[in-house]
Amino acid sequence: MKIDVNVRAVLVGIFFITVLVGSVFFAKSKRPAFVPPVQSVAGGGASRGALKVRGPVNAPVKIVEYSDFQCPSCRAAQSDLEALFKNYPGKIQLTFKHFPLKSHQWSIYAHQAAECMNHQGKFWLYQDTLYAKQQDWSPSKVAPVEILGRYAQELGAEMKQFGACMADVAVARDIFLEKEEGNKRQVNATPTFFVGEERFVGPREMQERGENAIRKALGLPPKTPAEKKPEPIAPAPLKGAAQ
Amino acid sequence: MISLNAEEKSYRILFWGRIFIGLVFAYSGFTKLLEPVENFQGGMAAYEIIPYVLIPFLARVIPWIEFIFGAFLITGYLPRLSALVLAGLSWSFVLLILATRLVTGVLPANCGCFGEGSLIHLKPMQVLVMDIINTVVGLRLALLKVHPFGLSALLKQKS
Repeated sequence: MKIDVNVRAVLVGIFFITVLVGSVFFAKSKRPAFVPPVQSVAGGGASRGALKVRGPVNAPVKIVEYSDFQCPSCRAAQSDLEALFKNYPGKIQLTFKHFPLKSHQWSIYAHQAAECMNHQGKFWLYQDTLYAKQQDWSPSKVAPVEILGRYAQELGAEMKQFGACMADVAVARDIFLEKEEGNKRQVNATPTFFVGEERFVGPREMQERGENAIRKALGLPPKTPAEKKPEPIAPAPLKGAAQ
Repeated sequence: MISLNAEEKSYRILFWGRIFIGLVFAYSGFTKLLEPVENFQGGMAAYEIIPYVLIPFLARVIPWIEFIFGAFLITGYLPRLSALVLAGLSWSFVLLILATRLVTGVLPANCGCFGEGSLIHLKPMQVLVMDIINTVVGLRLALLKVHPFGLSALLKQKS
């Protein structure tokens, strides 16, 4: 049987597209599903491996944030998170997870310092400082260990313990374990938020859709666009920072 | 053995360009398709000039276009159309990067083209250079009437 060249080309095309689409769905189905690790919430966050949790344990809305301290978008998202805590008091619990990006060269130092402050029960104060002063330490030409130490000192950290912790490889390993957990949840950009199992990537997405997901979980009607505040201001350029 | 004319001989150079563009787009599309669509949405939202209302739609469509036409270009199926589509995409990325830099004065740290877990990590300026090259090579491929090493040529020969 002689098939016309066009018909054959179309048939080959259909077969080709089917194979391509099938390969994507097959590869997706082979990816392991994420199972959250069993971890306890240590009171006061004053021990190694303690979760960095803010808000009541019995809060109906649980948010998990994967963030990078050197990321301008993560800094921009902080004011939105503050607004959520203010607008829905007692209803939200936020868990911070380390996700230092490869593209940010000083990020891991900042995360190690923050984790060390977590051991001393001062994580949230320290993370606020890191974001507020991001434009001071991020453009540093050398590893900003001294600056990070100064911030810790200003917050009343026990400096001998802080110094030992900064040199502790086990702390870095804990940070990368959290990042690995994020990788398993297919996090690839920061900040990524999970409200329950729903994913929101970036401050804009969190503001546009995330708040309505929270309202839905609380049984509140969605906010109309007019009720929403203006779009977040574009992150300021970081002079000399990794682009 | 197929004898090659002058145009076909010069095509040997463009052939590697075709494979390169095809591989870049097919890999980029495939890695994005394996990940949750919100990741790419977030990557697009980082370029602050894209209208937010378009982002969910674009984030769902672009990876499929990249993957399918990238694979088409590698194998040489509909090579002219595939090259034209991918050159168009490359050019739109060039415009996006330039317009974002011009309007907002800042570019995202990561281009958002490949996932954090992928083997390739490019900054927007590196992608800009690559996309300009891809546009030029893609247009040249789209203008070529003969694509000897490929599925389409094979299908014609067998008829």
